[in-house]
Amino acid sequence: MSERRVTGGATQRLLSRRDRLRAWARHHRQLFGSTLSALLRDWMGLMTTWLVIGIALSLPVLMLIGLRQIGETDHRQVIEPAISVYLSSPSGSAVTQGLISSLRQMPEIRQVTLISEAEALAEFSERSGFFDVLNAFSENPLPAVLEVRSVSTEGATIRLLTQKIGALEGIDSISFDAAWRQRLSSVLLIIERITLALGVLFLCGVVLIIGNTLRLTIENRRHEIEVIKLVGGTDAFVQRPFVYRGFWLGMGGGLMAWIMIQSSLIYLSVPVETLARSYRSDFALEALGFQESLVLLALGAGLGIVGSMVSVRRHLVKIQPN
Amino acid sequence: MLTFDQVFKRYETGQEALAEVSFSLDPGEFVFLTGPSGAGKSTLMKLAIAMERSTRGQVLLDGQNLNQLPARKIPELRRKVGVVFQNHQLLFDRSVFDNVALPLEIAGHPPSEVKSRVRAALSKVGLSNKERDWPVTLSGGEQQRVGIARAVVHRPPLLLADEPTGNLDPELSREIMSLFQQFSQLGVTVMIATHDLDLVREIPAQRLHLQSGRMVQP
Repeated sequence: MSERRVTGGATQRLLSRRDRLRAWARHHRQLFGSTLSALLRDWMGLMTTWLVIGIALSLPVLMLIGLRQIGETDHRQVIEPAISVYLSSPSGSAVTQGLISSLRQMPEIRQVTLISEAEALAEFSERSGFFDVLNAFSENPLPAVLEVRSVSTEGATIRLLTQKIGALEGIDSISFDAAWRQRLSSVLLIIERITLALGVLFLCGVVLIIGNTLRLTIENRRHEIEVIKLVGGTDAFVQRPFVYRGFWLGMGGGLMAWIMIQSSLIYLSVPVETLARSYRSDFALEALGFQESLVLLALGAGLGIVGSMVSVRRHLVKIQPN
Repeated sequence: MLTFDQVFKRYETGQEALAEVSFSLDPGEFVFLTGPSGAGKSTLMKLAIAMERSTRGQVLLDGQNLNQLPARKIPELRRKVGVVFQNHQLLFDRSVFDNVALPLEIAGHPPSEVKSRVRAALSKVGLSNKERDWPVTLSGGEQQRVGIARAVVHRPPLLLADEPTGNLDPELSREIMSLFQQFSQLGVTVMIATHDLDLVREIPAQRLHLQSGRMVQP
């Protein structure tokens, strides 16, 4: 708190570093609340902006969640159908037992599961709804099946394995649709790329939405900015309120996105799980957890700050008092 | 305090605003800057607070050469200057108190100090009872005085006023001029641009006269 005489009579108090730091913190504290209440004064406009940002954020995030869960789930069951080995002998027979043990010794094979005639019937009637038709048969027409899972996920390798298995005894027929598997994985790859490209586009969109919203605010407050610059306001001082506005716009948009994502996931979870069960998968759509929710909010807030910086840099520089 | 040395200013439009302007103001000095409209008074003021830069010649403020001043140093420089504008440049969405407090808040003074200084400045210009009012409810003279309070609240060593009595009646103009004289007596360097020659004649002070951008004898 030193009082210094500046060349001549007038006294101008010079602020210590500590005073400046306190003032800086005070300005941040004050803006944190005041920018939000300023935004809330036009709550209709604010809601619209939040919704737009929310939609733009939730679409790519939803797609990413879908992709990630497909990746994390026991996706071999969904993406890599087992080689189905239809048996010519009943499941209890010695031929079948011999076949199972020789298959289990093959190093290329990861897993062999026996589905007996009765199990096949139960499953078929449960899933297909052809229960009545099957009842018309006096005995079970379905053969026992071995579900064989390969170690490799390569279509060509699996096809070779299929031929090898086909040479063994006790087998009626083998089915493995390699083309289907390959097609599905290329489709998934395309969806993944599309998701990433869309994600980048949507995130840029959020930055632009926030930047544009702030451009209008900056334009409306041109006079204030000029006056602040005239009485010695630094660029940082002038920018700060807009950065906080950007923060709130992004944060609120993130919250909207969170609500949209959680409700979409709940809405989608039942049909998705039904579909997954038909592939014998326990695949389930999970709602966003606590950490992921925080990440989403932080993403919104971060994009808000980036958007405001971009916009403020571009537009504030142009505003000079005259 | 403020020195112009052979200053020449040509705008990008090609218009020559100032030519070979030289003068120097000592601390605590009180001067009038006179001349007809378009003679370059406003340009001179703008050069003094780095709103414009000279095409040739040097402008020195408190020992700093404004031509060599990087943009990031401009805010600091402007905090040494109080400026009173003809059109007040008040912010109409803020109270009188908040308008006057602006330079102190920008500089980062603690709130208690802001409060006491703003009150002192408002009392100096006779508006103690108006601190909670909105500028729009004030008369032209009152608004001008709020502008003056804002210009002096951070006790700048240099006070520049561009036509501060432009829209005021003679009685109010005299009041405002006496305010400026008081600041000068406290050691503030004061420069007032005006074309109100009646007022200039009443006050014994040095006079700088501009004619078509050149400094001439009045």
